[in-house]
Amino acid sequence: MNGFLELVVDKFVFRFATDRYYHPEGVWALPEGDGRVRIGLSDFAQQSGGDVAFAEVKPVGTALAFGDEVASVETMKTDIAVPAPVSGTVVEVNPALETAPEVINEDPYGEGWLAVIEAADWETDRARLLDAQAYLERVREVAEEGMRKR
Amino acid sequence: MSEKVVVIPCSGIGKTFGTVSREAAYAVVEDLRPDRTQLVALSLLVLGDEEARAAVAGHPTITIDGCRLACATKMVQESGLPVARSFTVLDAFRKHRDLKPEGISALNPEGQQLACALAKEIAEAIDALQEEA
Repeated sequence: MNGFLELVVDKFVFRFATDRYYHPEGVWALPEGDGRVRIGLSDFAQQSGGDVAFAEVKPVGTALAFGDEVASVETMKTDIAVPAPVSGTVVEVNPALETAPEVINEDPYGEGWLAVIEAADWETDRARLLDAQAYLERVREVAEEGMRKR
Repeated sequence: MSEKVVVIPCSGIGKTFGTVSREAAYAVVEDLRPDRTQLVALSLLVLGDEEARAAVAGHPTITIDGCRLACATKMVQESGLPVARSFTVLDAFRKHRDLKPEGISALNPEGQQLACALAKEIAEAIDALQEEA
């Protein structure tokens, strides 16, 4: 990981890993250089959702289009349908999620990854994603709007 | 049967899990094991209230936390006092996925059932602690 950007909103601090791309719905995509893309929830998504109780990822072999639901994450507050930030086929699922889904909260950009997808057309999908700075600005709008409504 | 067990739920004000935590504590202390438990307010302990500190120092203590921040457990420990057992609403929900709690001032029926299930688990832990003593 190269580093992080940080956004402070009220008492909350949100981090954004700068080495990856982001789906606007809070899913990161990290190309691994071999046509495979690792994905997971952003820090903002995991903090907004709260403590993860269950995480279920589509099984290995599942074919996905961009935006298809790749995982469902159930927290004490809400249910999150996680959209795929890349089209392709699921080739790996994080085994830790079965017994310790709280790893998503504890280390969203590391051990809390959700799946690895063999990308079908990474260059096309990448153009639809945001870099860390653009995603931070998106989160800033959402978080500040949320604060105004409180 | 031996000494009383102290039960300390988290504060969790404005949080559904905090409400479940407190409801479970009330169910244990008022209904399931009324003669063998004592409820202590976390805020008194944090303030250094001598009576609260003495209760925790002199009896096995069970904490109930709503979420992974584990405020009740951490604050008891940071007060230099021991925690015999700790429970979380999150873990209880993982065992009872059909009982998703909602509401804050008043829990939905599922939340009430979750609090009851957690209370039963805590009551069993109290029995075990008192047998060990």
